[in-house]
Amino acid sequence: MMRTIEIFLVIIIITAAFIISSLFAVLPSPRQVSPLNLQRLALTTLQTLDDDYCLSETIFEPDYASSWSKLKIALSACLPPNIVYNLTAYEVSMSGPQLYTPTMSISNAESLGTSSDSASYLTASSNVTFNFTPEKIGEQGEGGTLYLLNCSDSNGWWITGYTAQSLAADLYNLLSPYFKATAIVQNTTQLGQILDGNPLQNESLQHAVIINTFGEAVPIPENYADAYDSNSYAEYCYQLGRRVHRYNWTWVSIVGYPLYYVSNTGYFTGSGDHNTWGIYGMKHVGAGGLNAFLSGLDNQMYSYDGDWITGSPGVVHLSSEALYYCNYYGIYPAQYQTATRALPSSVTSTYDLTISTYIIDPVDNWNAGAVYHHAVNGTFLALGLTRIPDIRLTALSLLSDYKPRLYRSEYTASGTSRLVVLQLGQAGGI
Amino acid sequence: MTGSTIDHMVAVTVFLGAILVFIGLFNQTIQTAILYQRHRQLATKCSDLLDNILLNPGYPFDWGKSNCTPTSFGLQDPEFTQYKLSPFSLMRLLSSTGDPVYYAKTGLYYSNITMGFGNFLLLPYTEAINYSTATRLLGTNGSYGFQLNIAPIVKVVISEVQLEDPLTLAIDVTGTGFPMPNAEVTYCFLTVSARAGGGSFPSYEIESGIVTTDEKGSATLSFADVNGETDSYVLIAYAHLAGLTGVGHHKHVTSTKQYIIPFVDNLKERKVLIAHSYDVHYFGPPVAELSYNATFVLLTEDFTLREMPMENSTTGKVGKVNYGEGKPFGVVTIPTYNPGILIITYRKSAVECGVVLMPWGISSMSFPVTFGDDPSSREWVTTDVRQVIVNEIAYQANLALWSLEGYEAIGQ
Repeated sequence: MMRTIEIFLVIIIITAAFIISSLFAVLPSPRQVSPLNLQRLALTTLQTLDDDYCLSETIFEPDYASSWSKLKIALSACLPPNIVYNLTAYEVSMSGPQLYTPTMSISNAESLGTSSDSASYLTASSNVTFNFTPEKIGEQGEGGTLYLLNCSDSNGWWITGYTAQSLAADLYNLLSPYFKATAIVQNTTQLGQILDGNPLQNESLQHAVIINTFGEAVPIPENYADAYDSNSYAEYCYQLGRRVHRYNWTWVSIVGYPLYYVSNTGYFTGSGDHNTWGIYGMKHVGAGGLNAFLSGLDNQMYSYDGDWITGSPGVVHLSSEALYYCNYYGIYPAQYQTATRALPSSVTSTYDLTISTYIIDPVDNWNAGAVYHHAVNGTFLALGLTRIPDIRLTALSLLSDYKPRLYRSEYTASGTSRLVVLQLGQAGGI
Repeated sequence: MTGSTIDHMVAVTVFLGAILVFIGLFNQTIQTAILYQRHRQLATKCSDLLDNILLNPGYPFDWGKSNCTPTSFGLQDPEFTQYKLSPFSLMRLLSSTGDPVYYAKTGLYYSNITMGFGNFLLLPYTEAINYSTATRLLGTNGSYGFQLNIAPIVKVVISEVQLEDPLTLAIDVTGTGFPMPNAEVTYCFLTVSARAGGGSFPSYEIESGIVTTDEKGSATLSFADVNGETDSYVLIAYAHLAGLTGVGHHKHVTSTKQYIIPFVDNLKERKVLIAHSYDVHYFGPPVAELSYNATFVLLTEDFTLREMPMENSTTGKVGKVNYGEGKPFGVVTIPTYNPGILIITYRKSAVECGVVLMPWGISSMSFPVTFGDDPSSREWVTTDVRQVIVNEIAYQANLALWSLEGYEAIGQ
């Protein structure tokens, strides 16, 4: 008898356990089990209403009665009948303890039911224009001069479809706001002037940036052509490297094999003075030009080395750093590029260089786009991509390395933006 | 001793019985909880899948404007961000609602989104994206079933109030059950003339204007020289209010059996076939040749319709078609990938003529799209909804999703 009583006691205990666990195991209501995503619905409703900026106009409309009445009609028209809403517009204020001050609110129900969700949307006044002021390179220190080679007496190579002059004009538009001074080098005589250490006007020569817009060719002044013609003008490239080192310049090669030809249409006038591809006024330097330039940059003694040093890694990708600066500066070249003249990583040890910025991710020790700083003086930006050059990539590379800041004229949304919050709830049901 | 044994047996029996009952009770609670959890997961999946479809253009990005099968499925307009859908990607979806149409002269079946007489959108099955391809590309093949419904938010319904002296048409603009007062309605009224055409081709006249709806969301239009019984005409109206835009259309034709049916032939090349209706539905003799005159109109930013010159194709914008073998169909080339409406006026005789419309991009005529499987026989279907824009026209995208696995897989 005792065992039966004990069993009944056990049953009572288990029953109690079941009842207690059932009390805690509360199942959600059907609406919670399969909820409508009200947050997304609210957001897409606001986006739809603002598709042609109607919502923004309404929010800033001084004639509240008429425009808000239309907004109310539109809200009722586009939301499902069982959805109740409350739309509130907030003024963004910087003064006072409250950041957001409600300015207007409309609703089609007294309450939004037991559960609701909301989405916010920032509208901007149509009277506001957002702009920015870039920090000038060289403003806080030395340098700040941008030289764009625009020599009218030279021809370019591997810039098919463009001229050096059109590329210089594009670069001027893209980069001049970021430099303290921009100088256009109009001919090889002016180039010789700066190579001799004489500024064109009053610009600072030291720490300048020189962009060679002639692709694989480089303009050569007459006196330099006379003086440095050994080894097919490779010595001239060596002198360029020396100048980059001496004045702490940044030399920019925008495409292809750097310094592969020299060009001066007034000097190279012979019938054989062409690059073998039909471009006259040009002389073939070959691979020795780059080697000579790098040895000059490293302040080594001149000796001719005609070895081809670049590689062809094929399709390459912008680095994560470059992608970040694409968004920061609003310059968007293609993320995929083709590299056939990428420099080997070994140049860093051979010529005492350090890579400060990777524009393009390295592939198997080939750097298709990087900025090389010499340990003492001088910088070399080489974009070893195949033709045709994308000049935006050059601009992005320089900006990624110098990193000038952008000062937005409007850091605050006060008075120019209003926050709209649409809260939705479901009417009826449980 | 006997009492003790009986006591033992009773106790064990009662204990085992009680244990079985409690196992059942606990099991039921756990089963219900698991089921609820599965339903919750299905709802989350539904929301995710809907966003995945709407916020991704697919690959290649312009698959809606080509004949290729995408390798990634998505309906977002590649030229925009947010919930803006491509009217051409939507056009390529195989309709779940309309019966397929067979056209013997091409030997092809066509996906059919037809909105009443004379409003055709017929796309060859070979160019349409079917449900199984979409589920495969979305990674839901065999695990989830869905139906995607994309329907216009603003409905513009046009009805005849008075047939003559003058022809009076009422335009009713409503949202999802609510009328839209003070909506601005831009309309385009096209009348077809069977007699005044160049040669034997029909000509047409276009009249445009703007009206505003009253407090009931209605507006009335009158056309003095048009007879609603004997004349052929079409009215296309765009209604817009506070960012919401909708389209409505209404037509009357005098030749209702012999008419033109446009078939999309090649999306990439923008070619449309002009077919005689008897090649699709044979109504019996007599058979008459139809002459046609095709026009393409674009919706401009100020909601007016602008005519765009047709490209010179092999047969040009005018031509003649007839029923039967040896009578070739006509071909016209849409001049652009901007959404618009192909208006084809046709003439059977000096008194019988008509007009048919075909949207180029589903939004230009507010065509709805229903794509996917039928959810009606499923045990548990979860839905989610988004507001979307298809080329300035406000639509609502509704996704119904159900599981094909485990407990809920019934009817398979």
